[in-house]
Amino acid sequence: MSTFLPCGVYHETYAQDHAFWQTNFIRGKMILLALVSFIAIPFFLTDYLSEFILLIYWSLGALGVQLLIGYCGQLTLGHAAFLAVGAYASFLLMALPWPRFMLDMGVVYPLVLLISGIIAGIWCVIFGLPSARVKGFYLILTTMAAQFITVDFFIAKYVSQIGGRQQDLTLSSDLVKFGPWTVDTKRDIYYYGLILTILMTFMVLNYLRSKPGRAWVAIRDNDIAAESMGINITLYKLQAFFVSGFIGGVTGAFWGASRNIISVEDFTFGKSLWLVGIILIGGVGSIHGVFYGAAFMVFMIWALQEIVGMVGGTGNIIYYKEIAFGLAICGFLLFEPNGLAYRWWQSKNYFNLWPFSY
Amino acid sequence: MNGATASHRDDVLLELDDISMSFGKVQALAGIGMKVRKGEIHSVIGPNGAGKTVMMNCINGIYQPQIGNVNYKGEKINKLRPHKRAALGISRTFQKIELFGGMTVLDNIRLGRHMHLKTGLISGAFWKGKTQKEEIEAREFIEEEIIDFLEISHIRKKTVHMLPYGLQKRVELGRALAFDPELLLLDEPLAGLNLEEVEDMARYILDLNEEKRWKMTIILVEHDMGVVMDLSNRVLVLNFGNAIMDGTPDEVRQNPEVIKAYLGEEDLYATRR
Ligand SMILES: Nc1ncnc2c1ncn2[C@@H]1O[C@H](COP(=O)(O)OP(=O)(O)OP(=O)(O)O)[C@@H](O)[C@H]1O
Ligand SMILES: [Mg+2]
Repeated sequence: MSTFLPCGVYHETYAQDHAFWQTNFIRGKMILLALVSFIAIPFFLTDYLSEFILLIYWSLGALGVQLLIGYCGQLTLGHAAFLAVGAYASFLLMALPWPRFMLDMGVVYPLVLLISGIIAGIWCVIFGLPSARVKGFYLILTTMAAQFITVDFFIAKYVSQIGGRQQDLTLSSDLVKFGPWTVDTKRDIYYYGLILTILMTFMVLNYLRSKPGRAWVAIRDNDIAAESMGINITLYKLQAFFVSGFIGGVTGAFWGASRNIISVEDFTFGKSLWLVGIILIGGVGSIHGVFYGAAFMVFMIWALQEIVGMVGGTGNIIYYKEIAFGLAICGFLLFEPNGLAYRWWQSKNYFNLWPFSY
Repeated sequence: MNGATASHRDDVLLELDDISMSFGKVQALAGIGMKVRKGEIHSVIGPNGAGKTVMMNCINGIYQPQIGNVNYKGEKINKLRPHKRAALGISRTFQKIELFGGMTVLDNIRLGRHMHLKTGLISGAFWKGKTQKEEIEAREFIEEEIIDFLEISHIRKKTVHMLPYGLQKRVELGRALAFDPELLLLDEPLAGLNLEEVEDMARYILDLNEEKRWKMTIILVEHDMGVVMDLSNRVLVLNFGNAIMDGTPDEVRQNPEVIKAYLGEEDLYATRR
């Protein structure tokens, strides 16, 4: 979807035309967003920091799913598996006997984060291999296999036995160091997630305005035409799986670092479904949609919790949560199948093209 | 240009060597041979269902003929996937427009430029530097060579599926040109166009073939006899998967078998609005 520039705005160079933020209004909005997310939230909304960390977590996870489903057209229902791979890889790698000076310098964790992402990416490529031959329903089945083989079999049976029976893996927060910065308070975790989200989002946006991303969208829209234009569709599909798995991996690693403990319960099939639900609600094939969808979900859970708390419920909202989310997805599919992002796009264009908004 | 048939017989760019293709009981191509020489416009005509589109698909690799060979520049390319054949310089448009509907005109044409770009996952992630430079170069090429040539500057930012049919056809041609192919397959580029659009498109085809900038060899599948006879150096006539003849437009016009195959269909081609 291309957006329309406000009436009267033109570009003089191609570089300007390729830029993300093309008007002062948009630049202003971005500065505002940066102020809110870097200052207002961590310092003035501290009561809600946990919710914002959740928002970051779900956004990041859904970003990878969006890339695969929304931009490359490859359905996946097992993405929590790659979050799990990233989380477990990061914990196990941090447990290696790294030299003291490297730990002190804070280079180990960034390195581990990167490697965990790459491992998850490769893992994702393995389960993406069938995409060279099958589409749609059959691909869903192979990605579901990713979920069950990775989490319920490989991790539950073997990986989580490392270091003692029935022990959840742990990671001491003083090890999570980026250079001199130790990520130990909740605010640090928030910043860590925020920066990671910004990096990953820009990475995906940059892909989308260059060769790899365009090829993904071409494959989604018309794979025969894409191949006729010289796009090696197998290669580009696998690249999409890699990047998507990579984002999943760092998301999992971030999740692990935010709680210092992981177990297979964190990466269930249900979680894979929620990730897809987020992009259905937010809008398939939209980066904004990832954030709107995640925000919708986090807000919904928070609101439910408040309501249950108010009426003095037992506090176990897990069932309401699932039911409410399911209903929300049904509602969106019925009444706004293009998701929240589309609503936003419509209203934005309305104002941008004003006074000629029809 | 009718008489200007490429005289050097050795200058064969593409050769179909006795190719056959059937779908179940339907024999779409039955032992077709064809030699396309460098620099010519070689048309393929024939009634509906004659096998023309199947033939284009065999050339560009969407289908692989069950029998026979497809040779390009003397090399057998039967087994190559379409993207490999594109890399050799074979481009095409489709009878039923196959654009990337949700993208802008510009992005569609950029995808035609895909093979000339080098950005990978690492440089693409950062954009600044190599990728940005490459994108600007691609943009310049597209603006100067494609958008100007096809006169579509007013729609470059429009989403393709919202464009009228005639413009979509033009955009599809633009996408096919963007990688600077040597051999261009056009599957009914004039179908569904109004008179003015037909004239424009015919002029583009001729320019692509004759102008020094392009010098493209073209295989043209078309039902519009007037345009075919005007533009082509040679014409191959198909009927039910068989080649009736392959000759100059004049030879084709006078061939009794061709006249028979087309008998009664004359009106069909005259019904263009
Ligand atoms: N994928 C396919 N599966 C089965 N049959 C096919 C397939 N593709 C083509 N055919 C058949 O092959 C024959 C030739 O079809 P083709 O599309 O090449 O005709 P055409 O000459 O392009 O006709 P038109 O002028 O209508 O475009 C037809 O009988 C068609 O039904
Ligand atoms: Mg056809």
